[in-house]
Amino acid sequence: MPTVTVKWQKELFPAVEIDTSQPPLVFKCQLYDLTGVPPERQKIMVKGGLLKDDADWSTVGVREGQKLMMMGTADEIPKAPEKGTVFMEDLPEEEQVVAVGHTAGLFNLGNTCYMNSTLQCLHSVPELKSALLKYPGRANELDQTSHLLTVATRDLFNELDRNVKPVAPMQFWMVLRKKYPQFGQLSNNGAFMQQDAEECWTQLMYTLSQSLTTPDSRENSEIVKTLFGIDLVSRIHCAESSEESSETESIYALKCHISHEVNHLHEGLKHGLKSDLEKVSPSLGRSAVYLKESRINGLPRYLTVQFVRFFWKRESNQKAKILRKVDYPLELDVFDLCSDELRKKLESPRQILRDEENKKLGLKPSEKKSGSNIEDVKMLDAEGSSSGNGEASTATSIEGALPEKEMQLTGIYDLVAVLTHKGRSADSGHYVAWAKQESGKWIQFDDDNPSAQREEDITKLSGGGDWHMAYICMYKARVV
Amino acid sequence: MVLVNQIVAFLMKHNAEPEAVDLLMEVEDLDLLVEHVDSTNYKRPCLYLKSSARYLPGPDDSLVLGIAYTIYLKFEDLPSALQIALFLDNLQYVKQVFKLCKDLLQKKQFCYILARQGVDFFILDEDMIAEKTDREALQEIINNTKLSEGYLNLARDIEVMEPKLPEDIYKAHLIDNRASAGANVDSARQNLAATFVNAFVNAGFGQDKLMTVPSETSSGGSTGSWLFKNKEHGKASAAASLGMILLWDVDSGLAQIDKYFHSNDNHVIAGALLGVGIVNSGINDDCDPALALLAEYLDKEDSTLRIGAIMGLGLAYAGSQNEEVYRKLSPILEDATIPLDVIAFTAISLGLVYVGSCDEEVAQSIIISLMGRNESEFGDSLTQLLPLGLGLLFLGKQDKVEATLEVSKTFNDKIRTYCEMTLISCAYAGTGNVLKVQNLLGHCSQHLDKGETHQGPAVLGIAMVAMAEELGIEMAIRSLEHLLQYGEQNIRRVVPLALGLLCISNPKVNVMDTLSRLSHDADSEVAMAAIVSLGLIGAGTNNARLAGMLRSLSSYYYKEASLLFCVRIAQGLVHMGKGLLTLAPYHSERFLLSPTALAGIVVLLHTCLDMKSIILGKYHYVLYFLVLAMHPRMLMTIDEDLKPLAVPVRVGQAVDVVGQAGRPKTITGFQTHTTPVLLAAGDRAELATEKYIPLSPILEGFVILKKNPEYREEDH
Repeated sequence: MPTVTVKWQKELFPAVEIDTSQPPLVFKCQLYDLTGVPPERQKIMVKGGLLKDDADWSTVGVREGQKLMMMGTADEIPKAPEKGTVFMEDLPEEEQVVAVGHTAGLFNLGNTCYMNSTLQCLHSVPELKSALLKYPGRANELDQTSHLLTVATRDLFNELDRNVKPVAPMQFWMVLRKKYPQFGQLSNNGAFMQQDAEECWTQLMYTLSQSLTTPDSRENSEIVKTLFGIDLVSRIHCAESSEESSETESIYALKCHISHEVNHLHEGLKHGLKSDLEKVSPSLGRSAVYLKESRINGLPRYLTVQFVRFFWKRESNQKAKILRKVDYPLELDVFDLCSDELRKKLESPRQILRDEENKKLGLKPSEKKSGSNIEDVKMLDAEGSSSGNGEASTATSIEGALPEKEMQLTGIYDLVAVLTHKGRSADSGHYVAWAKQESGKWIQFDDDNPSAQREEDITKLSGGGDWHMAYICMYKARVV
Repeated sequence: MVLVNQIVAFLMKHNAEPEAVDLLMEVEDLDLLVEHVDSTNYKRPCLYLKSSARYLPGPDDSLVLGIAYTIYLKFEDLPSALQIALFLDNLQYVKQVFKLCKDLLQKKQFCYILARQGVDFFILDEDMIAEKTDREALQEIINNTKLSEGYLNLARDIEVMEPKLPEDIYKAHLIDNRASAGANVDSARQNLAATFVNAFVNAGFGQDKLMTVPSETSSGGSTGSWLFKNKEHGKASAAASLGMILLWDVDSGLAQIDKYFHSNDNHVIAGALLGVGIVNSGINDDCDPALALLAEYLDKEDSTLRIGAIMGLGLAYAGSQNEEVYRKLSPILEDATIPLDVIAFTAISLGLVYVGSCDEEVAQSIIISLMGRNESEFGDSLTQLLPLGLGLLFLGKQDKVEATLEVSKTFNDKIRTYCEMTLISCAYAGTGNVLKVQNLLGHCSQHLDKGETHQGPAVLGIAMVAMAEELGIEMAIRSLEHLLQYGEQNIRRVVPLALGLLCISNPKVNVMDTLSRLSHDADSEVAMAAIVSLGLIGAGTNNARLAGMLRSLSSYYYKEASLLFCVRIAQGLVHMGKGLLTLAPYHSERFLLSPTALAGIVVLLHTCLDMKSIILGKYHYVLYFLVLAMHPRMLMTIDEDLKPLAVPVRVGQAVDVVGQAGRPKTITGFQTHTTPVLLAAGDRAELATEKYIPLSPILEGFVILKKNPEYREEDH
């Protein structure tokens, strides 16, 4: 009856006796007592082989004092989890979109980056998407091409949401060319020419404003107008005759004029709202210079700002670009561009917003808020708001008590999309869209190649070099 | 001749030993040198002989080293003699050294040297050590059973025991938030990368945060949960990574892997088999657990299981020339019904087990199997592993390959040149043979238009042959630089890998820059190879510049899954063993080349020739071949009872003192540390105290210190 040493993990069991008349299973049971490893889980190694349960000890040939090694644990056997892990690679493409965190890119169909970037910017407006989805899809009083363009836009936006891989906007492009033949312009060598993205933007916006109207004639029927339209009220004043008149108009984009004094978007916008125009003065009986001063009277959900970077250079007979650096903020306040009437309306939502922000920052404990209105008034005064203080504060308290269901604009806007241009003239170079996703991440849509960007880098697109520079910015209203 | 005698005697007397050696070499009568050296001046001529042997064509080089060996024996400088015996791979000499040595402690030191070289199959017999208990103790050292203990000791001393997560390596917070997309969905590719990174970084530490979570916290089986976050064959790599984490610790390693054997998922079992192989790599246990466990699975139907077992055997018994393994594996090669991938892994495993043995029988088996492949299989990159298996048999054996090379000329012409290139590059690997480098360069200059693939191994071959010494490396880097500029696309794809081999675990700035440039190459295959090579040159160095480079690459390629995978692997390699390991096959002051280590790297590089179908396909576990080259880059001083002993040492840049007059300093720019210490590439250590005498002239790995009997405490 030989005795052996059994090594199990780091332990040594010296002098284990083997009863060679019994099958090895008995030996294993002996080891079970020592280690607690059930016999069926035991693996015993005898010089390069495993000990079988029914082996014959004489053939195994165990020597006295031999060292055996046992392997085995009483541990639980790892089981596969009930629910298998789902891997990104296995997901259908729609779900991958969620995982990737941004939607698809658009293939460049030959100098169509102006169109791609415009589409990507507009695609980042969810309200527009839902409005498009509601579009009945049949031509009503609209002309056929506008209808087709709207349908094409809707289909393309749908496709963008479903895919991870880049999409070729073939259908859309064909319809766009049909509707606006100027985009089908060919260059000398027969290729399609680069176009001005601003033109594409304006035209597309115009078409959509025509087609996306709800049949019922409520006030809210013009969806595009509520989303993007800006109401302006202008005072036209003639210095010579001191004639004055006023007019209102609705536009889809504010222009930021760039002159030598303009360093910041705000200055440019102010500049853009003032213009000189020459027209026949009825009182003077000749043409005179009129000063037109505009103010915003109605704000949209999405404020579009166009940088007037291109101008017609007479000497060289081409559209030249102003490379001047014009900074733009991530958060834009247009309060001082508004008319007095609108300012009054904005006053109370702005107060609410400010309170909320203060609360968030912990500057103003909540008990103070409930304390009194006087403090609020004081605060308002201290901040030196331009118009009505008493009224505003009462309005605040009233509205604070009766929260309105409808969201109110505050005149404060957050940057959501930037369309940039790189190059020296509008009809050349490269257009790229930079859009903020709902997750708060910025994605650069360079044709078929979307890539993530940092927020800091977005504000660096302000020009002043040959890098991408902002051409159109889209701001989203902060509402309360 | 009388005149020569007089001149040599004069030169030797007047400290002009190199001239004396030169003269004797010129008259081809080096034997005379033995008579002219004495115990005071034998070291310098021997050093000169050792380093000049590198530049001599065979067979002169072994002749010169033979003289050096004789001189060392004459003056009983046995450790140095052992070095030469190992360099010549002459086991007769090794045995002779053992027999001549009377000191048991000295013999123990020899055993440590043998263990480092990877001759762990070396069996001591009675002639060498008479006492049985002593013999067992010494055999244990050779078997490397204490390696894990020493390594953990080092880790504890440097305070890096805390396991690291892959995220600690990626350091995503240092890059902008671009790469964080999709954090809520598991990507199989990224999880697999994390598995490898986790395995490499925590290699040998016995604990990590993914695979070896303590069982009490995992009542629901959370250890299992990371495993099952991998997909299909990914699970194999995940299970095998446990082997990597418990590297060298056979006892607890096997215990932890055991539970996966009872899984009902073949991929998991295959991984467990591979894990057993990894744990046992470089370790020789008397019970042969690897063979016992793995042999069971060799004839299973499922090829995943088979590959796991085969590769496991290859890793566990690399360099052992274990006949049992050959008997088990050879039938697989002969069976025509077995799928190609199993055959390919069998050939590689046999190549590893019999590395550098020139074994006729094994060679014959692989040749027959190679001839039995049909036409369509020759294009497959897996088939190309068969010639590599064949080549490994002749690794570093120079002209012994000739016969097989002749046979290879009869192969199908699709594989013929490929085979020739592989055989030449393996046979002359680490010899620095300039003629072979030229021959291989010649092959690279040809323009191919029939889609041949033999230029890949040719470019790798240049690096393999030239990696022998520093000068050759510099020249090869220059040649590769030319290939990069003038070579064709298929060559450009391999150049980064060749650069990676030349500077493995030695991040030279110029090579790093070249690879960094290539990592942005328009051709994604060049970029992938460059990225993996960045990992190889920085393997186990924690090099901050490389880490930064790879971080920015990870954000640059965050959308390209394959490239990102490579970046992750490279990051794992750079932080391998938390910076305690090296992949360099050269050791003992760059004098000795460990054949198994080189073989492991070469296999990996060959599989990188076709990255898409192997590493990025379903054979990613080939990355574990690197385990053969992994070794702690430490200096551990131990006392006469083999217990760690802390002594001050100076560590600095090694200086080439060959042929210099006087007694120049051997290191420069040194710092004084207390052992155990880490040694970087090109570093050399010397004792900073007179209190002890080291038993090995080269302070690397384990060194036994003996008290200096003449040492007196200084009076204060």
